[in-house]
Amino acid sequence: MRGADYLLKRTAFAIVTVFIAVSINFVLFRLAPGSAVSNLSRVPHATQETRNALKQQFGLDKSRGEQYVLYLKQLVHGNFGVSFANSQPVAENLRTAIANTLPMVLLGTLFAIIVGTFTGVIAAWRRGTGAEGATVTSALAFYSMPTHWLGLMLVILFAGVLPTGGMTDDFLINPSWWTHVQDVLKHMILPSLTLGLVLFGEYTLIVRSAMLETLGEDYILTARAKGLKPWAIVRKHALRNAMLPIATLVALSLGYIVAGAILVETVFSWPGIGRAVYDAVLARDYPMLQGAFLVLTVSVVFFNLVADLLYFRLDPRITQ
Amino acid sequence: MSIVINEPGLIAEPEPIRSRGGILWDTIRRRPSATIGATILSLIVVGAALAPWIAPYDLHEQVGPPFGAPSWQHPLGLDDGGVDMVTLLMWGARISLVVGFAATLVSMLIGGTIGVVAGYFGGKVDGILMRITDYFLVIPDVPLMIVVAAIWGPSLFHIVIVIGILLWTSTARVIRAQVKSVRERVYVKRARALGAGHVRIVMRHVLPQVAPLLIANTVLTIAVAVFDETALAFLGLGDPSRISLGKVIENAFQRAAISAGAWWAIVPPGVLVALLILSCSLLGQALEDALNPRLRVAHVSARGFRLRPLVGRNADAV
Amino acid sequence: MSALLETEDLQVWFDLPRGGTLHAVQGISLGLERGERLGLVGESGCGKTTTALALMGLLPASATVSGRVLLNGIDILRGAEETMRPHRWVDLSMVFQGAMNAFNPVKTVGSQIVEVLELHHRAAGRAARVRTGELLAAVGIPDDRAGRYPHEFSGGMRQRAAIAMALACNPSVLIADEPTTALDVMVQAQILELLDALCRDFGLALLLVTHDLPIVAQLCDRAAVMYAGELVEHGSVDTLFHAPRHPYTRLLFAATPDLHGDGLPASIPGAPPRLDRQNEGCPFRPRCDRAFARCVDERPLLRTVAPEHGAACHLNDVAAEVAH
Repeated sequence: MRGADYLLKRTAFAIVTVFIAVSINFVLFRLAPGSAVSNLSRVPHATQETRNALKQQFGLDKSRGEQYVLYLKQLVHGNFGVSFANSQPVAENLRTAIANTLPMVLLGTLFAIIVGTFTGVIAAWRRGTGAEGATVTSALAFYSMPTHWLGLMLVILFAGVLPTGGMTDDFLINPSWWTHVQDVLKHMILPSLTLGLVLFGEYTLIVRSAMLETLGEDYILTARAKGLKPWAIVRKHALRNAMLPIATLVALSLGYIVAGAILVETVFSWPGIGRAVYDAVLARDYPMLQGAFLVLTVSVVFFNLVADLLYFRLDPRITQ
Repeated sequence: MSIVINEPGLIAEPEPIRSRGGILWDTIRRRPSATIGATILSLIVVGAALAPWIAPYDLHEQVGPPFGAPSWQHPLGLDDGGVDMVTLLMWGARISLVVGFAATLVSMLIGGTIGVVAGYFGGKVDGILMRITDYFLVIPDVPLMIVVAAIWGPSLFHIVIVIGILLWTSTARVIRAQVKSVRERVYVKRARALGAGHVRIVMRHVLPQVAPLLIANTVLTIAVAVFDETALAFLGLGDPSRISLGKVIENAFQRAAISAGAWWAIVPPGVLVALLILSCSLLGQALEDALNPRLRVAHVSARGFRLRPLVGRNADAV
Repeated sequence: MSALLETEDLQVWFDLPRGGTLHAVQGISLGLERGERLGLVGESGCGKTTTALALMGLLPASATVSGRVLLNGIDILRGAEETMRPHRWVDLSMVFQGAMNAFNPVKTVGSQIVEVLELHHRAAGRAARVRTGELLAAVGIPDDRAGRYPHEFSGGMRQRAAIAMALACNPSVLIADEPTTALDVMVQAQILELLDALCRDFGLALLLVTHDLPIVAQLCDRAAVMYAGELVEHGSVDTLFHAPRHPYTRLLFAATPDLHGDGLPASIPGAPPRLDRQNEGCPFRPRCDRAFARCVDERPLLRTVAPEHGAACHLNDVAAEVAH
């Protein structure tokens, strides 16, 4: 199979990175100074029995090496510890949080990709004209705004028109499924828009630069010589090729999306994994913080791998 | 001295950069985006640096009610503690800039060193260093920063280190590429052939060529460092004893400035941060473009070539 | 009978990024007859590639063009892109410098040839694929290669595929810009033979743009020499080699390494003039070994010095005066 070793290499790389992230997690939390952090049995309001049970479970009386092995075993079983804040298993909390975050982030990212690609292509196509200047300037402006500040701006602008906090309306009692969905979607608009606007800025610049690079390639001149009309050249040749660098750079921006999600969820009190991180920091809920960090890191690694595979699919030149 | 007729494909080797400041200064003067970026950045830096002398009020002085509205004496209003916003912004900019510069310095040192070593020595060393860089790249910055800041406590020093440790990767890559190309240049090979030691070659030949690009990359890194500091401050992980622009925004958020309708507590600090990031991005990008020109003629664009009515050969054309 | 392809006073200016213009082509008037092979030669930067591109209107938005390009007597330049596009590939087609990159790397070679066939309504679907196979076979590429990607072809094969693609719509003129540069010697010979055979078999007129004089000698009947955007001499290849009437032509052909001769190739000291400013006098004067007073401020015009032979040099006037 073509490029089997490329796929293998990238997958191996992803696995090793996850492993490194997992280890960093262990080092940061278990080996950090102060038993508040490393002592996972210190769940507030727990009985002494619970504490002993937890101590045993996490091997907190054993040596560091043994703790590490135990830690890895438990991760594999999905045991992330118990949250200090609500005394629930961290894994459960994380599951709910992720389910809340995904649709919001996806909506925003989709918006950014669609609008960003459109404006990026226009900017490259109309190089040297006012349209290019305007799109680049607005993209740069949005790109430079701190995500959370932009969120606050939108709150100021749309307060009263759109819901600005939480994921659901607390006053809706036993809503029908459809009403519930509508409610959630209404609440999702502002946070997704915030994330989307900042990302759109970055994507416009990426797409524009990828298109400009592509439009200078020799085969574009050949396409023109063959008698293709300009827009047909863009559609059939340039876009297809520009997808390659665009895909790579979008993947690289994933780390940013994670940061953006944290900030946006904090501003809009969206009960997702970003807000979970924020709450965990405030409450010094270390098990939650540890779990959330791990989940975030693994998802970035995962999506980077997906991007690698996508690139592999798009570019027939990759064989090793 | 005779010159053989040029063959196409013979690329002249670029002249070694003689004056270090020359090309940077040149770009700033010539390219509008660089000029704008440099101007805004200088204004902010100067304003922040001179804050102790030119700030209109004292930083801790309450001159009115919490969230006092803008007026002639206080064009940007007051914050939740009744402190003048203009003063706050100037002092806040100081800390934001300090963190930005310091973190960038850390990142530049790490990234620059790794880039030079990897690019210069190549081979196995390069492979290992790039592997490490790749791993660092994939781990998302902000969550790691949050975790480290949460565990080790928020102090200016910790924040600077944490940000710096995560930003070096792009610098390392860019520098490595540049060093690799410089290493192949004729005068470097000559120096090696003459027996010059590695350190000497790096110091005398490689670094001067790499320095402008390093500076361009540094400016871009400052933009990211400032953003990261703002984010950390917003999440409550900033140094509580110092006021940075991020902290100003966070304060406003925490004290429900929006419900109080006090937009002046939120909009100006954000605008200032955005301007700071924007100016660094403009300047850094323009410098990088100037040093690494990937200028290409677009073979296709919305406008086509122009036709001029026939002009006689001996007429005064153009 | 009008020539198949002619230019009249073709001029091209490029906008410079810092303002001002570069006068890349300064009044080229050429003629190409049906089935004729013309070599357009000169050093790099002399404007020959720009001239070739201008013939098909393939210039970027930063270019300004004036003059006429006559195809069978009709000026196709008069409407810029709109009047030039209909003739691309069906009347005039081109093989580019470094055909390595003439193909889009993410599409198969075959699909890109099919694209031309379908675009110009020569064939569609299955018929187009069959025809593609025939075209590739004509240049010596087995047709099972059509489904491969450009990077899977060697440089020589890619060039041949580019030639096959160029002939897909039966043009009457083929423009080849440096078709053999960056290929190794053995492959060069093959490509030249191929071009020779194809032009003969299909009755194509060939415009060969190159700095490589031996291949002009091999393939072309006539040649035109460009310097600093101007045409300085044109005539049959034989005449230019043995009895040139312009110092540049003489030095150019003398600089060609000669298999039979001894000694190193002579080189011409100096460099061509800058084209972003108006220049006085003969552009070649600073490097000319026969320059005299008149060359300093009077520009020599292209004059007929013999049947089918023109040159732009004051020395010819002197000779003519002396002859009187």
